[in-house]
Amino acid sequence: MTTERALRTVDMHINVGPQHPATHGVFRMVLEVDGERVAGCTPYIGYLHRGFEKLAENEEWQEVIIHLDRTDYISQFNNELCYAMGMERLLGVEPPERAEYARVILAELNRIVSHMMFYGAFGADVGALTPFLYAFRERERLQRLFEAVSGARLMHFYFRAGGLKEDLPEGFADELRRMLPAVQHGIDECDRLLTQNEVFLSRTVGVGKLAASEAIAYGCSGPVLRASGVREDVRRSDPYSLYPTLDFDVPVGKNGDCFDRYWVRLAEMRESVRIVQQCLDRLPEGPIRTPVPRYPHFRVEPGEIYVHTENPRGDYGLYLVSKGGVQPYRVKLRSPCFCNLMALGPMLRDSYLADAVVILGSLDIVLGEVDR
Amino acid sequence: MTLPADIDALVRLFVVANVVLLVVLVLIYIERKVLAHIQQRLGPMRTGFHGILQTPADAIKLLIKEDLTPQSADRWVFQLAPFLVFVPIFMMFVTIPFTGELVVRNLDLGIFYLVAFSSLHVVGLLMAGWGSDNKYALLGGVRAAAQLISFELPLAFAILGVVVWSGSLNLKEIVELQTGIPFLLLQPLGVLIFLVASLAELSRTPFDIPTAESEVIGGPLVEYSGMRWSIFMLAEYASLFATAAIAAAIYLGGWEWPFAPRAGELDGWAARLAGVTWFVIKTLGLIILVFWLRGTLPRLRIDQLMGFAWKMLIPFSFINLIITAAAVVYGGVILLAGWLATGGFAYAVYIRSRR
Amino acid sequence: MLGVLKGLVTTWKTHWRAPVTVQYPDERLPLQPRYMGFPGLMWDAEHDEPFCTGCQVCMRYCPTGCMFVEMKDNPKFATGESKRRKIVADFTINLSRCISCSICVEVCNFEAIEMTHHHERAGYYPDQVAGLPTLFQMSADHRAGVGQKPGHETRNLL
Ligand code: SF4
Ligand code: SF4
Repeated sequence: MTTERALRTVDMHINVGPQHPATHGVFRMVLEVDGERVAGCTPYIGYLHRGFEKLAENEEWQEVIIHLDRTDYISQFNNELCYAMGMERLLGVEPPERAEYARVILAELNRIVSHMMFYGAFGADVGALTPFLYAFRERERLQRLFEAVSGARLMHFYFRAGGLKEDLPEGFADELRRMLPAVQHGIDECDRLLTQNEVFLSRTVGVGKLAASEAIAYGCSGPVLRASGVREDVRRSDPYSLYPTLDFDVPVGKNGDCFDRYWVRLAEMRESVRIVQQCLDRLPEGPIRTPVPRYPHFRVEPGEIYVHTENPRGDYGLYLVSKGGVQPYRVKLRSPCFCNLMALGPMLRDSYLADAVVILGSLDIVLGEVDR
Repeated sequence: MTLPADIDALVRLFVVANVVLLVVLVLIYIERKVLAHIQQRLGPMRTGFHGILQTPADAIKLLIKEDLTPQSADRWVFQLAPFLVFVPIFMMFVTIPFTGELVVRNLDLGIFYLVAFSSLHVVGLLMAGWGSDNKYALLGGVRAAAQLISFELPLAFAILGVVVWSGSLNLKEIVELQTGIPFLLLQPLGVLIFLVASLAELSRTPFDIPTAESEVIGGPLVEYSGMRWSIFMLAEYASLFATAAIAAAIYLGGWEWPFAPRAGELDGWAARLAGVTWFVIKTLGLIILVFWLRGTLPRLRIDQLMGFAWKMLIPFSFINLIITAAAVVYGGVILLAGWLATGGFAYAVYIRSRR
Repeated sequence: MLGVLKGLVTTWKTHWRAPVTVQYPDERLPLQPRYMGFPGLMWDAEHDEPFCTGCQVCMRYCPTGCMFVEMKDNPKFATGESKRRKIVADFTINLSRCISCSICVEVCNFEAIEMTHHHERAGYYPDQVAGLPTLFQMSADHRAGVGQKPGHETRNLL
């Protein structure tokens, strides 16, 4: 008689990234899978590490902005806004009103562009082909506008301490006013394509749940936190720029699952359109730059400051230290993506392999910012 | 001019083989164009007028590409797999009737034969997944096995509804029974189940789980290149064509409906041409529906897919069978219950997605 | 099923709209006037010499270190034809490292350099180095293309 040997099974390690089509940027995670079930996940980051914080110490104050563009390279205007505000607070200057309005308009349009990117990538993660192209169609409209404003489609380098690089181009307001209904329509179309789709719902509802307490404990922010039902938005809780005067809602989810994270972003795009509309109606004429002393060099008074803004991905914080030189002494970036990514572990618990991709997509990470 | 039976069959087989190759090229082109326009892109535009030569160009490129075999692959299994995928699918064409006469062999057990062969290529996929010595391929291969075997059942049961109603396994007879009303109207639930199940059989969106590129990067195909990879593609589109042709024959009335040439109206080649035209239009319509779905839907997850097969499709295909059987015994009016059941099916899908 | 139908209707509708993409090398989407491609050097037609004095300010500020500038005595200054004491002797930009950030334009004190619309520099070799003639040509093409005059409001902002 043969003795029956117990069947020995091993968990399989699957490498997802950095060249896997589903990873966002160059994120790598090694998934331990038991059949289709994910038993564990080891994330690896750092493939895109460019040493932003160190680089910033070797550039002049204003020049650092080009590196800011390259941290979160999908929401450049928001990053620039954060840094420009920090410099302004250190310098003790206020940007003129027109600059403030232009900044808020561009930052909110940038939020739409960024969330569109999320929409497309998320659609691809759940396996649909078309959302990506729809999202890019919508993005293209706004990117062209950005190109007209700053001359660049991605790395704008447009916000400066005390205002803007140059005035908005002629006919900007009219152009944007004409464009807004189309943007709104594009958002609606994206909404129609995916939101009520049964296949999409079954892939996202209840997947990757993150309880509010857990989200707070991991330091999540932005749509990831709000999807878990926490009404926290830097634009409301620590208002900056024009946001206290603007009328907009902060959409929150209920369950903190992938669907809620998707839905919150979609709703935020609509709110952004509203904000842009209000700003456009009030956009004043006038100077776009408060002169800051820059002879013989642009210097910032000694001091330190923490500024944060509500990026499309969450609470984007910069800690600036000045020792009075022409270069910042220290620039520390509090990256929302990095903190959001920390919650990946608990979300992946007991998920399927296919869910892992969707959950990662729902975090909407940008590796330029995680790795810095 | 009549040829000896064996030679005649061989000639027909040869013609069909070439037609299939041509059709696959056309289908790939149509798919790329349809998807492109859904996404407001142009699609292939450069080779030939509106890119019509793009797929032949791609095919030639694939043929002259190096045929790589991974060093650690199980050599024979790896190299044999594409053929084991393609051959059963090609065998299905033996009994698919383009018109009453344009068929290689009209088998009396035609449907039985088709169902049997349509499930064989899973072996090849599993071999490809195992032989590649690649984790993505293995996962994809196992997924393919699970998915294809589960969906075999609802597919067969859906067809069984037609068989019970028509009382024949012969495709030609089934088509000829639909001169008046196509079975689409008599078997609405059956059609729905057949479409869903065959989408899964074909691994097309939303059931392209074995080859999901955002999860397992092409699954069993991940290590293949050049010639062998193109055989997989050939098989995929050939089976799409075969399945659409079967659906057109058993549900849409094949070459007969809606304007079957009555005896004497048209004869000879004209009748055949009309028949083939109808058949091609119907088949193409179904295929474009598949592409359209691909451009619209996301992908299901494997456990949801299995749940869908075993908890939804199989019970509902039983219901369909019971309704049809009752209709055969007690009269055709009972078939109206099929429409009710279709509504129930749609509602059940809705409920499941809301959970 | 309703959601699926809704999605199908959406894709059906977009299917009939005109494509938004173009056939790239044959057709191009228009660039906006402010578009920033690679920097080019402007030519002072009045004195028939470049504006650039070779002062190397741009080179020091360039974040990627892709510029190289050399200065020489201006022969036309000696003959009194020009007011520039110094003139650029050699100027190269490694365009494959340039990130089109426009810092060089903003720091130049002589308004000698501008962001042109040139942006297609794909090539077979990793270093696409543009020398003086190329840089002048780029700027000349640019100004012929958009009808822009030398001088721009975005000077000395850093
Ligand atoms: S645009 Fe920027 S990177 Fe390019 S040469 Fe000028 S300063 Fe250097
Ligand atoms: S381009 Fe301007 S900054 Fe650069 S070397 Fe010439 S004059 Fe100096």
